[in-house]
Amino acid sequence: MISLIFFLSVGMVLFSSLFVLARRHARPEGSSTALVEARQALKTLQAGLLPQDLVNRVFAEQDWNYVRSETPRSVHALFIDERKAIVLLWLAQVGKQIRSLQRFHRGAARHYAQLNPRVEVELALSFAALTSACKALQILVYVAGPFVAPRMVAVVANAAARACKISEQSLGFLDAVRLSGLRGQSRDAATL
Amino acid sequence: MSRWLIMGLGLLLEFSLLVRGVQARLTRRYYFFYLYVTSVIFFTAAMMLANWTGPSIYGRWYWPLQLATLVAGYGILLEILNHVLAPYPGAERFARFSGMAAFGAIVSFALLAPLLTPGWSSGSVIEFERDLRSVQAVFICCLLTVIFYYGIGMGRNMKGMIMGYGLYILTSLISLAVRAYAGRSFDQIWDVIQPLSFDISLIMWLIALWSYCPNPVPDHMIHLEEDYGALVAKTRSVMGAIRAYIGKAARA
Repeated sequence: MISLIFFLSVGMVLFSSLFVLARRHARPEGSSTALVEARQALKTLQAGLLPQDLVNRVFAEQDWNYVRSETPRSVHALFIDERKAIVLLWLAQVGKQIRSLQRFHRGAARHYAQLNPRVEVELALSFAALTSACKALQILVYVAGPFVAPRMVAVVANAAARACKISEQSLGFLDAVRLSGLRGQSRDAATL
Repeated sequence: MSRWLIMGLGLLLEFSLLVRGVQARLTRRYYFFYLYVTSVIFFTAAMMLANWTGPSIYGRWYWPLQLATLVAGYGILLEILNHVLAPYPGAERFARFSGMAAFGAIVSFALLAPLLTPGWSSGSVIEFERDLRSVQAVFICCLLTVIFYYGIGMGRNMKGMIMGYGLYILTSLISLAVRAYAGRSFDQIWDVIQPLSFDISLIMWLIALWSYCPNPVPDHMIHLEEDYGALVAKTRSVMGAIRAYIGKAARA
């Protein structure tokens, strides 16, 4: 019976893999499009998601204090719901950009003959842990509300900005001239 | 009777696949695959002839020929490895490593399981074939994991080759596992399922390999001016920073 369960489990894993393959539409990882996206992910994190003023404004508790003191109870719930939606969206976007940076690494690493499988597994697990942590934060905010950790936003923004700076170096070879060339190529590919 | 009808249909499909392969000049590109198809044609024809001349000859030659085609089936896996992963040396290295690891794990399991589990039996030819099919299944899973992880694109030929062979391995593995467990009572169903699933795979291959469809070529326009070690170091430092920020955020 144990052997039957074992081999049926192997069969189930194979079935799942084939199912994913049948439904898969491969995206051009590591191509010029992916590199432009990785660069774009950094820009979005740095300029769109993490500027201190913007983040402070979105998560400001003063707004909540004001709404709580000046408006009826029905407005409180509405305000909390809207803020929660914004925070969740923000966290989802940060997670998305991290995944984009991971895609860039995979797209580049697959071309290296000296790739170290052990290191790749380690990195894959670390990326999975990171995105899971992002998801956990989303759940925390979803359950306990947008003001669950008041200092969270500033810390998140600062550390993410540091991460972006390091990541920028790894994408440094994509200078402005080449990047604009690549943009043109990816636009052509999209048109096709 | 139904088994022989299905096998007859299979023989027709195998010939069609081979003829179409020659017409579309695919035999030169995928020679391991067409070598496998040729060996299966030989096997099917020999089995039909043996059954017609005498059941004792059929019984004596079934398993040796079945195992020979099973070994030839590893050529398809080699074909996939060569065609899909060749332009990606890193991913190919990873696939070979994970394939070897999976092979080692299965062999260790096959050696240790009879010692550790009292109810385990692995003496018969059916169980031996089941074990070999499971190695192929695990290898395909590893290969697909690498393909999915590194986002490697595939043309219709390769996708069809994997789907067809994967489906056949899947039904073989499950039917062999159930046959090994249930015994001869499963033979009637097994006699139909095994050739029928292969016919379905042949139809898939015939459609997928009707004409040449190359795999998407990776974009080589960008040459990274750094080595793998530097790339890993940079990725690690990015992750370290993000991890620190998420950790602090969670504690805040």
